[in-house]
Amino acid sequence: MLLALGLLFAANGFAQTIGDFKMDETELYAMTKQMGQFMRRFNYEEDQFGYKLNPKDPNYRSNEMRRKSLPVLFDQEKYGTQTDLQRYFIEDVTKGDSTYMTFLGGRWFSEVSTTFKYNGKEVKVMLFLAVEKEGLGSKWVLTNVYFSEFNKLFPTGEMADKEKHFLHPMSHELDFMNIYKAFQDPDVIEYYASQNYHPDYLTLFFYEIKSGKLVFQHVDAVKFHVLQIKDWYFEVSWFNRSGLNSGWLMSNVVYMPEKEKTNLIKFYQP
Amino acid sequence: MKKIIATLAFVVCFAGIALAQDELSFERKQAIDSLALEKVRDLSKYIKIVGSKETPFSEANRVIDRAEELFMSDAEIGVSSLSSNQITYYRVRKYFEHLMRLNYDRVEIEWYNIEYVSDLQRQPDGTYVGIITIFQTFRGYDREGNMVYKDTTKKDITVYVKRKETQIGGRTIGFWDVLLGDMRVKETTNR
Repeated sequence: MLLALGLLFAANGFAQTIGDFKMDETELYAMTKQMGQFMRRFNYEEDQFGYKLNPKDPNYRSNEMRRKSLPVLFDQEKYGTQTDLQRYFIEDVTKGDSTYMTFLGGRWFSEVSTTFKYNGKEVKVMLFLAVEKEGLGSKWVLTNVYFSEFNKLFPTGEMADKEKHFLHPMSHELDFMNIYKAFQDPDVIEYYASQNYHPDYLTLFFYEIKSGKLVFQHVDAVKFHVLQIKDWYFEVSWFNRSGLNSGWLMSNVVYMPEKEKTNLIKFYQP
Repeated sequence: MKKIIATLAFVVCFAGIALAQDELSFERKQAIDSLALEKVRDLSKYIKIVGSKETPFSEANRVIDRAEELFMSDAEIGVSSLSSNQITYYRVRKYFEHLMRLNYDRVEIEWYNIEYVSDLQRQPDGTYVGIITIFQTFRGYDREGNMVYKDTTKKDITVYVKRKETQIGGRTIGFWDVLLGDMRVKETTNR
């Protein structure tokens, strides 16, 4: 089954002989080589040989063809080829015409795992980016960052503890003479902020970079979080492996009604 | 010469086209893809020539000059291997010089017949950007003819496409200028 699915994206006899070596290209045809190809395969905007389909072509975005090709976009080692989740996903995304992925459609984010030096020590930092329209085109922009040191600065405190730290409502009449209490314990300074206050980690990140404490080293890995498809969330990760199921593939697929996506989107783009 | 004729044919083909190019038709995109692929094929050819131990030093240097002309001046080549995800950055000339100095008695560099061209996206200044993916196998042999190193790499090459104009015989002719940008070279699972 896996072979049959893989071959859907691989023409027969893709082999060339060089010297004593026979180079079999079947696996490379089957590989989802770019995130853009993932989208094109997801939408069936290219045929099984990787040729772009003319939007006038009757097979362009054909749901019938998508039903056959979508299984190949799952990480088969995790999802197999015939799981209920996979069947339900494919059935759901191919029944209407609003479930195509588009580059400028929003609600898809890149997660870039990186290494920085923080005060001279190597640390892991996760960057989140989104495509934003600007001028005549678009660009990737930083939308959020996850760095454990920042989260440690703002732990989720106990309500009882929070209730001990406030400025009473008549403080203004005392010329805020009691405000010094807010600054006595830096660990809980944020308790003195509005309940709508949320730390802006991206600003902290920029500050640390500008002050020279955080220095970029390298990118470790990239994956994508896709929330663009109605009622679904999935991740797309890079699988560097042999066989007919490699490249950019769906690595984590979750049924997620639209209203449940709000908090997750806020995490990627506060 | 062939290349000049091909480019001119392309220019003539699109002469007189309106300046506004907000949305490219499917056919236009295909034509631009072909032009970009031509540049990438030139690059593949140059890598093979420079990598070959049979290419004289002076000839290799001349080819490196040609290769540099394919790229934007600030283009970088980022290389990683299966053993380390860490990317080593090279300027185009350094990358080719590194290739030229590899310590093997004989090398084989071959390209798979796969050229995957992404959709073109516009960046804020209006220039179109795309990525072309190609695959290469490299084999290094020692003096006894034993293969001592082998890898297969995926090369993702940035392609910048810009609408430009030139004067030919008093007429303003629009054409698409294609230049290569950063190239990511990633080792794939041994095949």
